[in-house]
Amino acid sequence: MKETTDFLYPFIEGDETDAGTLLVDLARSAEEKWAVSTELRVVTLARIDEQLRTIAALMAERFAAGGRLFAFGNGGSATDADGLAQLYTRPPSGRPLPSRSLVEDRAVITALGNDVGYDKIFSRQIIAHAKAGDMAVGYSTSGNSENLMVAFAEARKRGLLTIGFAGIDGGRMGVDPNVAHCVIVRSQSVHRVQEAQASATHVLWSYVQAAMTTPTQTPVTRPPTEHT
Amino acid sequence: MTEIAAVAEDMGRASLALARRFNSGATMWCTSPAWPFHASHVAVEFVHPVIVGKRALAAVTVPIGADVVATLRANVRPGDIVVALAGCDEPQVADAMRRGEAWGVETVWIGAGAQRPTSGSADHVIWLDTDDPLEASECFVRIYHLLWELTHVVFEHPGLLKDDAQAAVCNEEVCITCSDEGRLTEVVSVEGDEAVVRALGVEELIDVSLIDPPRPGDLVLVHAGFAIR
Repeated sequence: MKETTDFLYPFIEGDETDAGTLLVDLARSAEEKWAVSTELRVVTLARIDEQLRTIAALMAERFAAGGRLFAFGNGGSATDADGLAQLYTRPPSGRPLPSRSLVEDRAVITALGNDVGYDKIFSRQIIAHAKAGDMAVGYSTSGNSENLMVAFAEARKRGLLTIGFAGIDGGRMGVDPNVAHCVIVRSQSVHRVQEAQASATHVLWSYVQAAMTTPTQTPVTRPPTEHT
Repeated sequence: MTEIAAVAEDMGRASLALARRFNSGATMWCTSPAWPFHASHVAVEFVHPVIVGKRALAAVTVPIGADVVATLRANVRPGDIVVALAGCDEPQVADAMRRGEAWGVETVWIGAGAQRPTSGSADHVIWLDTDDPLEASECFVRIYHLLWELTHVVFEHPGLLKDDAQAAVCNEEVCITCSDEGRLTEVVSVEGDEAVVRALGVEELIDVSLIDPPRPGDLVLVHAGFAIR
């Protein structure tokens, strides 16, 4: 769709007083951008469908064997990690699956950022928590975030299944062997990338749920611990 | 995927209001009790723009798990913005939106579902019909991205940034803003027949002898200096 951009050019003078024209332009711009986002969603989901099914099958195996999912990202991508953890642990339907966002504990994030360095805020948590059989999911629109690359390297070393969501051309995540599966949304717009990543995240979750129909090997309800 | 046409105009009007408020120094308070990650995403979007050179705007998230009304009551200043992402059945959000007039803030309620807030529940209601929670979630991301993008488009029209909404001050016995309707105010403290209330974010003394004694936090309708309901 052709994007109308003439309204983007500002009035040179500050004497514009009738908001009516601007409101029409704003609504039209919203519709156009929405259409672009919808188109990117459709194209992306069609292109990555096989990849998502492959990843989902591997994740379902790991969840079934007691694996846990750790999610991370920076800025808006940090909120994507939070959203993913919420979706897996408190799903609107289906079974809850163990998942945590590594950006949620501010005490840990600030402690690591202050004492060890911002590039290690996720990798140090992976060292502390993760075991072989777990999963690491990192979000970055550029695919270049240093702390994600460090976290993926650590996760790979420890036998985690590593999954990246990246945008633009995939960046470093798209070519780094430590990211076993990199889902790339091919758009130059950070906003449109995040929107399609949200859709891909939801589809991946639905595929994982569909594959989780048999009993897991670990008890879902653990025996109560004795109080001492 | 949900179509945008139904809410495109709502988003345009909301963006114009946001730009005007920000231009006058507003802080935008974001809350989403059910989906806190969405509230965080809105705030980071405005504070730290993805496009280099765009101005950073004051946006902040109501802390996860916090009492929404209590947090906002203590923090909002007249002219601020409150953005909520919540379903119709979120009592904390409905309560906060209802107090927007008393606090003097612009309220934006983004949500989805067959049931929608009653007309006038917020200054701006951007509502999607879908009952699918994942589809709604994807639409929310688009909506707040677009609100940010459109707000910055409005900034390029300086002549339209004068905030008319704040010019209307309601302090006369013959009230041009509320006519005979009365203004919704929030009780701050009560002393006998008198009470301090917040009206459009500003405290004033009113007479409460015509109604049952209110308590702090109650919403009362005030006309000509008297609480009438």
